[in-house]
Amino acid sequence: MTIRVVHYLNQFFAGRGGDEAAGMPLEAIEGPVRSGALIQNLMGGQGEIVGTLVCGDNYANEETEATLEAAGEALDRFRPDVVIAGPAFNAGRYGLACGEIGSLAESRGIKAVAAMHEENPGAAQHRRRVYILKTGESPVGMNEAAAKIAAFALKLARGDEIGPADEEGYVARTRKIVRAAKPGAQRAIDMLAAKVNGNPFNTEIPVILPDRVEPAAPIADMSTATIALVTTGGLIPRGNPERQTAGNPEQYYTYSIEGMTELDGSDWEAFHGGYFNGTASDNPNYILPLQQLRTLEDQGVVGGIYPSLFTMPGVGTSVPKARRLGARMADEMLEHDVDGALLVAT
Amino acid sequence: MRLDLATYPVSDVRLGSANRLSGGVLEIDPDALAAEVLDDPRIASARIELARPGESARIWPVRDVIEPRIKVEGPGVVYPGICDRPMTLVGSGRTNRLSGVGVVEVSEVQWHDAGHDWVWLFIDMLGPWGDLNPYSGLFNVCVVVEPHDDLDVDVKNKAVHNACLTVSDQLASTTASAEPSEIAVHELKTPSTPLPKVVHIQCVHSSQATSGSPTTFCTSIYGATHLELPRALHPNEILDGAMTGPYRTAFATSWTLANNPLLRHLYDRHGVDFEFVGVIPMRTEWTRQDEKDWIGQETARLAYMLGADGALVTWDAGGNEQVEVIRVVRACERMGIKTVFMTHEDITGSSEGVSSLLEPVRELDALVSTGTIGGSYSMPAELPGVDRVIGSQQKLGGRLRDELVPTSGPLPALPMYDDHYGFNNLVGRDY
Repeated sequence: MTIRVVHYLNQFFAGRGGDEAAGMPLEAIEGPVRSGALIQNLMGGQGEIVGTLVCGDNYANEETEATLEAAGEALDRFRPDVVIAGPAFNAGRYGLACGEIGSLAESRGIKAVAAMHEENPGAAQHRRRVYILKTGESPVGMNEAAAKIAAFALKLARGDEIGPADEEGYVARTRKIVRAAKPGAQRAIDMLAAKVNGNPFNTEIPVILPDRVEPAAPIADMSTATIALVTTGGLIPRGNPERQTAGNPEQYYTYSIEGMTELDGSDWEAFHGGYFNGTASDNPNYILPLQQLRTLEDQGVVGGIYPSLFTMPGVGTSVPKARRLGARMADEMLEHDVDGALLVAT
Repeated sequence: MRLDLATYPVSDVRLGSANRLSGGVLEIDPDALAAEVLDDPRIASARIELARPGESARIWPVRDVIEPRIKVEGPGVVYPGICDRPMTLVGSGRTNRLSGVGVVEVSEVQWHDAGHDWVWLFIDMLGPWGDLNPYSGLFNVCVVVEPHDDLDVDVKNKAVHNACLTVSDQLASTTASAEPSEIAVHELKTPSTPLPKVVHIQCVHSSQATSGSPTTFCTSIYGATHLELPRALHPNEILDGAMTGPYRTAFATSWTLANNPLLRHLYDRHGVDFEFVGVIPMRTEWTRQDEKDWIGQETARLAYMLGADGALVTWDAGGNEQVEVIRVVRACERMGIKTVFMTHEDITGSSEGVSSLLEPVRELDALVSTGTIGGSYSMPAELPGVDRVIGSQQKLGGRLRDELVPTSGPLPALPMYDDHYGFNNLVGRDY
């Protein structure tokens, strides 16, 4: 039986125009449009593009709810086995829209694949929910991308086993522990032999480097500045009422320190898997120096202390998660006109 | 330095009235072995039990597993230095090994008094953990032993480990009247054509900082366990047990050190893909930042002075330790020594589905993954119960180690998995 496919395109790739057409609402069209015909051709009769959804990038990103509602109705009508979106290459708004459409399909139990450059923001945002096939940065790579999409969409629709990300060419969704063909010792020696002899090898654990963060401009006048206190030392209220973990947390916590002159060891303790917690539990000011900051506040050296502290156990947190939690923390501070933050090392 | 390693495979172990090896069958006299152990005035109780491969048995608490080996030619004794054994240089002559047998140290003695580093290893001979631990395929001669309570903790450690070495020596001596299945010659001859030189940097933890004792019990190098400068060892010395003794993780035992598959492969590929010039044990768990930088630099320089073009880096476990291991990788790469680092992965609780490294640096460009069991990735969250327990019938459990639970189980899966020898084929992959 022929596999039913729905294809998502933005206004530009559907031939409706550039930025001037970016405000067009979603339209559902019977059959393939433009690159859709190429993809259908590459599916060699096994799949048929029964409908194409076309939407302006501005509309899709600004009126997301309406876009998804219209797309949902179209999916009900077309009843596809698989949804394909893009390729969006390095077009950011298009990539985000492709991810949204793919996520919508997946949430309705329809398999979906989007295609874009791996640096496209749509990839980072949607990779956990939708397969994102990697493409080049520009439409020069259209033929290659279309071939990948066609083959992968058929595989998905047939329910074939999907191999590892590097072999299939999609952006990693998760990490699994599997069985390798050879034991670790042999793979290690193979890699060593390759590396010392200048032969190619593939690392088995990708290392995600932390960002090089441009420091904010210095605070011109500390005597009027509001300072927030942040610790990754695992400071928790005694008894751990929120059941925080001792490392690799899913979120940070804020607690009021309004009116407190110092952190009292009978109210707070440390819960952190990376260091001996006893000293910090006896005197939590070691991991969040409220007492010292209050002294500076009294002396007029700093203008004020933000009335909530920020805490999490930093140990074992991956770079992408640390980036996400840090950005959220910074947003919360900016929202409350915090001028500076003191981060305490543990 | 040439070492002939003679293997005496054991296909069955029987309890009997003498210790002897005949036709691959090892007969042991449990009462005589226990009596030998009890000869030491430090020992309060001892008994010998046998666990067979495929048996529904669990051994708890396991401090170490030792392969019975004995030197029959050449200087020194196997497992030198530890427990006050002679520390004569080993690695040449001939050593006999009983393969397929482990002497298991079963005791409630903790590593030190400082808390935190509890003994937590148990061996399942069957089931999901049986499939992954390297000891379940052995005939395990378990020495269930406790020292007198009034002894110092370092003395207790030495006493129970010595008890197991006593049993190991006795069993290994049965090879005297038997024929080996093979004699493998270990000798690192200089290759006829120049090849890149490689070292194995094996990071091993010292409990000195945690315990406060420079004679604390853990993996020893000729008996030394303190935090010290890196040394260079000939791999033959390690085959004779110059580096021996356990650490707090499942794979760091005397048995794995002596049967390290990495060493076997390094010997095999010596003269083919590279020239294997030696092993550098690097001590980990220093306390200060400058010490962590310094130990990495010292180790890299020693590798450089051995002429190394490449280094295979492994470690045992820990957080502080990982930071030091990453520093040695970085220091090597900066001196032009190409590194490969083999490690388990930490993806437990990662909503991003990525592995975390405590210090992600760009020099970590050749990593080998041995997977993880954390978060039930490769093992069910609960290990099934067993018919028979060797050792203590109850163990501390619960999140805060404040409940006594029956050892026969079911039990929660192990807290960590640290196959830093590459015995298994688990690997992390992006999907």
